[in-house]
Amino acid sequence: MLLSFAQWIQFTAFFTALRGSANIYPIVMSLHMVGIALFGGMILMTDLRLLGWAMRKRSIADVVEQLRVPKRWGLLLTVTCGILMAGSKAEEYYYNAFFRTKLILFALVIIQELVFYRSVYANPAALDSSPGIPANAKLAAALSLLLWTSIACCGRGIGYIEPPLDKIHAQLRFVNTAALVDARGPSLPKGWDY
Amino acid sequence: MLITNPLNSSALAFPILECFHIVGFALSIGTIAVVDFSLLGIGMRRESPAQLAKDTWLWTLGGLVLMLFSGLLLFSSDPDMYYLNWAFLIKMVFFVSAVVFHYTVHRRAVSSDIPPGNGKIVACVSLLLWCGVIFGGIFIGFIYPGLSIG
Repeated sequence: MLLSFAQWIQFTAFFTALRGSANIYPIVMSLHMVGIALFGGMILMTDLRLLGWAMRKRSIADVVEQLRVPKRWGLLLTVTCGILMAGSKAEEYYYNAFFRTKLILFALVIIQELVFYRSVYANPAALDSSPGIPANAKLAAALSLLLWTSIACCGRGIGYIEPPLDKIHAQLRFVNTAALVDARGPSLPKGWDY
Repeated sequence: MLITNPLNSSALAFPILECFHIVGFALSIGTIAVVDFSLLGIGMRRESPAQLAKDTWLWTLGGLVLMLFSGLLLFSSDPDMYYLNWAFLIKMVFFVSAVVFHYTVHRRAVSSDIPPGNGKIVACVSLLLWCGVIFGGIFIGFIYPGLSIG
């Protein structure tokens, strides 16, 4: 079901146009990277502050609270561009091991956020008033660093795997052939008959 | 005897270097953006841009060094291709401009506790230059030197 959804979405007029555009696709990817630079950089600084390695003259509350809103905008930009890219090659991404790993890591990052929300992120002022940075805040930061850098690296990895869709299609024997003909036009792989 | 670049004999070297490159630019451009946003009155407003610059300069420099060295190694894998790639050339123009701007005009603008009137312009120029570097970097992969674009 997920697979047929992926096939359907990538062959919608919108994503077909995006996939075929010479300039829009790289622009979306560039904006994805701009989002990573801004949002990723702020995540790094927040985590490094929680670990006590960076911006030590600023209180934890100052860093966590003030970077929250710009981080959300950065995340929105990055995720929007990510969905645009994934949508235009949805079937390929469905089979892509790095993309699957990336989604799992996203789920883990959400769990991390929920687990540490009350003790770390919701009330950073309490962390400042404790004698040292509490261990669970450091653990949250270390996990966040690990997960987000892994997500970025998996993202880069996606481009290095090209699932052999033609072979997969040949094995599956049932695909949305009408949509494939529509989108791929004359450049269909040899050996296809409808 | 021709000595091959050891980077080219491993399929993993290039993607791993790219990951370091990404972390490097997230660290450098991210920290610069924190200061620029502060000049624009966004994000960290309880501190002055000067304070933030003092907090982050070492991380910015560390990120720049990481980005630069991983970038040089990436470049070494196929110098001819990069030399002929116009996106790469544009990226280098943006990169040199951004670094020079950062350590001259930008540094002066954030060095006083009261940001000058043109602080917002400096912040915008800084952000645009760094975005130019990123766009150039992405377009490298979409251009095939000697062939038509696309």
